[in-house]
Amino acid sequence: MLGGILVKVTFVLCLTSVLSYFLHHLRGTPGALTLGRWTYRFAALAIVGTAATLLTLILTHQFQYAYVWSYSSRELSTPLLVSTFYAGQEGSFMLWTLFTSLIGLFLIRHSGKMGYESAVMSIYGLITLSLVLMLIAKNPFTYVWDNWAGEVKEGFVPANGRGLNPLLQNYWMVIHPQVLFSGFAAMAVPYSYAVAALMKRDYARWIKPATPWLAFAGLVLGLGIMMGGFWAYETLGWGGYWGWDPVENSSLVPWLVCIAALHTTLSQRKTGGFIRTNLVLTMLTFMMVLYSTFLTRSGVLGDTSVHSFVDPGMWVYWLLISLIVVFLGIGAALLVSRWKEIPWPKIHRQSSTSQFLDYFTSREFALFLGASALFLLAILISFGTSTPVITDILQGKKSAIDISFYATWSVPFGIAIGLLTGLAQVLWWSKSDRRSVLRSLSTPLFLALVSTIVVSVLVLPTFGMTFVLFGAFFALFSNIQVGARVVRGNPKFMGGAVAHVGLAIMILGFVASSAYDNKQTVSLARGTPVETLGYRLTYVGYQPMDNERYAFHVTVERDGNAFTIAPVMYYSSYSDGLMRNPDILNRLTHDFYLAPLSLEEPGADSVSAVTGVFHIGDSRTIAGLQISFIGFELPETHMTSTMSNQDLTIGARFSVAIAGSPAVQIVPAKHVHNGKVSDVPARFADRYEVQIVKLTPDTENRQNSTVEIAVSDLLHPVNGGASPDILVAEASVKPFINLVWAGLIILLVGFGVTIVRRSQEASHKNDLKEETS
Amino acid sequence: MKIKVIVASVIVVAFVIFGSYSFLESNVEYTDLAGAMAKSKKVQLKGTWVKEKPSSFDPSKSQFTFYMADEAGRECKVVLDGAAPNNFELATSVVAKGRYVRDGEYFHASEVLTKCPSKYEAQADEVKKAG
Repeated sequence: MLGGILVKVTFVLCLTSVLSYFLHHLRGTPGALTLGRWTYRFAALAIVGTAATLLTLILTHQFQYAYVWSYSSRELSTPLLVSTFYAGQEGSFMLWTLFTSLIGLFLIRHSGKMGYESAVMSIYGLITLSLVLMLIAKNPFTYVWDNWAGEVKEGFVPANGRGLNPLLQNYWMVIHPQVLFSGFAAMAVPYSYAVAALMKRDYARWIKPATPWLAFAGLVLGLGIMMGGFWAYETLGWGGYWGWDPVENSSLVPWLVCIAALHTTLSQRKTGGFIRTNLVLTMLTFMMVLYSTFLTRSGVLGDTSVHSFVDPGMWVYWLLISLIVVFLGIGAALLVSRWKEIPWPKIHRQSSTSQFLDYFTSREFALFLGASALFLLAILISFGTSTPVITDILQGKKSAIDISFYATWSVPFGIAIGLLTGLAQVLWWSKSDRRSVLRSLSTPLFLALVSTIVVSVLVLPTFGMTFVLFGAFFALFSNIQVGARVVRGNPKFMGGAVAHVGLAIMILGFVASSAYDNKQTVSLARGTPVETLGYRLTYVGYQPMDNERYAFHVTVERDGNAFTIAPVMYYSSYSDGLMRNPDILNRLTHDFYLAPLSLEEPGADSVSAVTGVFHIGDSRTIAGLQISFIGFELPETHMTSTMSNQDLTIGARFSVAIAGSPAVQIVPAKHVHNGKVSDVPARFADRYEVQIVKLTPDTENRQNSTVEIAVSDLLHPVNGGASPDILVAEASVKPFINLVWAGLIILLVGFGVTIVRRSQEASHKNDLKEETS
Repeated sequence: MKIKVIVASVIVVAFVIFGSYSFLESNVEYTDLAGAMAKSKKVQLKGTWVKEKPSSFDPSKSQFTFYMADEAGRECKVVLDGAAPNNFELATSVVAKGRYVRDGEYFHASEVLTKCPSKYEAQADEVKKAG
C-alpha cells in the first residue's frame, strides 16, 4: 500500500504548503514562504512517487490491485500497458494531478519574479490539494478484495487482468490523454494569477505573467482537441472529426473561453481597459474545466450519449460539485468585494459623438465583440451539453439535445468570428484613422468578394453558408496582408496573423467538409460492383488480421484509378459487441471514407430457415416442401471408427417433393473428423438447403430416435444458388477536409510564436513594446 | 463604459431569446408510442425489441426493419436507416430516434441506441473467474 500512503503524505504536505503560503501572503512571515515552497516541492515529489508506484504495479502485472486488474492484462504491448495508467477515472485524475504538480514547480519560480509567489501558490496549491483529495476518494491502490469486499477472498491474486477496451487500443490512446490533461492542468495557472491579483489588489500587472500561460494552455488543449478529432475520424469511425459529443464538448468549451480571455487580455496590455472582463474570463476558463469535468465524470449525463459514463459514486459526485462551489466562490467573493475599487481606465469614459464613434471603430471594441462571440458560443455549447441535467431538473427525466442544435448555431457564429477576425487586424488601438483603415480593408474585401462569388457559382452554397465563406475569405486575406507587413518588421510579432490565417483556412475546411459532405449507405454484395458518389466500389472479401479482427477489402475505382481500402470489423469479447474501424482514401482535394456497418451472411440467416423434428417414418410439409424421414445412414464400421478416431459420417435420408413433382431423396449429414463435427447440408431443386440441426439417437428403441432439420430457402439464386455475403457500409466523400487539418496546424504554429513572444516579454522587465500586429 | 454595457446587453438578450427557442426546438424528448404518434417532431422512443416478430435487413434500401414494444407495451414497426445496431441481440432495451410515419404506420428511425447490461463496471465474479 505504498501508493496509498504516498497519496496521504502528499495531502498533508500540500495542505501545509497552502497554509504557509497563505500565512506569508497575509503576514509576510519569511519562514512561512520557505516552508510553503519546500512543502510544495516535496508534495510534487510525492506525487511523482505515487505515479511511479502505480506505473510499476501496472508494468509488473500486480493484478491484486483492482485498478490494474480492471484495465490491463498480460497480453498488452508495453506502450499500451503504460497507457492503461490513465484508462480509468482514478488513473486519469492521477495524471491530471501529476501534471498540475509539475507545472507548480515551474510556477514557484515564475510567480516569484513578479512578487506574486505566496498569493499565486496558495491558490494553485489549493487546486493541487483538491486533486489530491480526489485521489483519496478515488484511490487507484485498492486491492480487489477491498473493492469487492465479502465477495473476493483476501489475499487473492487474479492470474490475468481484464484487459483494455479495444476502442482504446491504439497509438492515440498513448499520446492523446497526456496532451489533454497538460492543457487542463495549465488552465489552473491563469486562474491562480487572476485570484492573486484580486488578493493583492494589483489589477494591472498580473496580465503579463498570466498571458503566456493562457496561450500555452490554449495551444496544448487545442492540440489535444485536434488529436481527439483525428482519432474519432480516423479510427473510431464516427464519420467525422467532430460529433458534438459531451466528451468532445467538454474540452472545447474551456478552450473557447481561454481564447476569448486571450483576446481581451491583449486589449488590457495595450490600453489598460477590460480589467474586470479579463478577471472574469480568466477565472471562467478554469471554472469551465471544472464544470466539464463534473459533466463527464460524475455520471450526471447518464446514458444519453454513445459514451458510457460510469457512475463514480457519491463521493466523487459531491467532491466535484464542491470543487466548483469553492473555486467559483473564491473568485466571485473576491471580485464582488473588490469591484468598486478596480479602476476604470480613462479610455472608457466617452461622452461626445466623435469619441463614441472612435470607440466603435477601435481595435479593442472589435476584440471585445470577438471575445463575446467566442464566450457566447462556449455558453451555448455548454448549455447544450448540460441538457440532460436541465431536463432532469425540469421534467424529471434526462434527455439529450439533437446535434443539429450545434450545427445551426455554428453558422451565425462562424460568420461573426470570420468577419471580426478580419476586421480587428486592420483597426487601430483606441482610435482608428478611418481613411487608412478603409485603404487596408479594400484589398481583402475585394479578394473575399471575388473568391466568394467564384466559389458560390461553382458549388451553390446555402444563404447562410455564403456569408460564412465570405467571412472566412475576408479573415484569410486580411490576415495574410497584415502578416506580410509584420514579417518585414519583426517576425516574432507574427503569431496573431498566422493563427488567424489558420483559423480562416479551418473555417473554409469546416464549410467544405460538413456542408458538402455526401453520405450514402451502400450494400456491397461480394464481387458485384456498386456505383456510389462517383466511385465504383467492389467488395472483394474479408481476411483475418489477427486473432479477433477481420479486414474487409473493398476496391475503389474512379477515373481509371483503382485503390484497395480495408475497413475493419470484429466481434470483441471484451465489450461483447461489434467493433468497427473505417478506412479512408486520402486525396488532395477530398477524402473517400468508408465506415463498415455490418456483414450480412445469407447462409447464417436464421429468419428464413424453418426447422422441424422427425421420427422415422414421419411426413410433414415444411417451407412448402413435402418431407418424409426414411431413416439414418450409418457406416458399417460405426463402432470401430469412433474408437479409432477416424472420420465418421452420420446421414439422415429424406424424401423431398414440391407439390406436383416427383419426390427426390436427399441425405444431409454430420461429419466427424478428429472429434470435430461439421455439417454436410443437402440441396434440393437448387433452391432449398436442408441441414441437420440436432441428432437424438436412441440405441434401445430406434423408433424413438429423432432428427431435427433446418430447411432454408435460398431466395437469391446467384452463382448457382449460393448467395454471396453482403458488406453494408456508409460511404462518404469529405471535400477539402485537409483544409481543416492544415488550418489547425497553422493555428497552433501561430500560438507557438505568440507564446515565445509573450513569455520573453513577461521575463523582461522593460515595459510594453510598440506593436504592429 | 455605458456603450459597452448597452451593446453587451442587446447581444445577451437576443442570444438568450434565440438560444432558448432553438434549445426547445432541438431537445429530443423521450416518449412512448402514443406521444410519438401525436408529434411530428423528432423524438426518442424507448422500449424493447419484440424478438418473436420478424426482423430483417433489406440490402436494396439499406434499411433494417424490426418490431419494438414501448414501455406501455404497445408494439410498432421500426424502420432504421442502416444496419442492425451494435449489440442488438444483447440489448436489454433500445432507444429509437426518429419520427412516426402516419401513412406507413411505422416509426422511421435515423438512429437506434442499445442499452446493454454494463460491461464496463467490473464485477466481482469476473475477478474470481480470472483466478
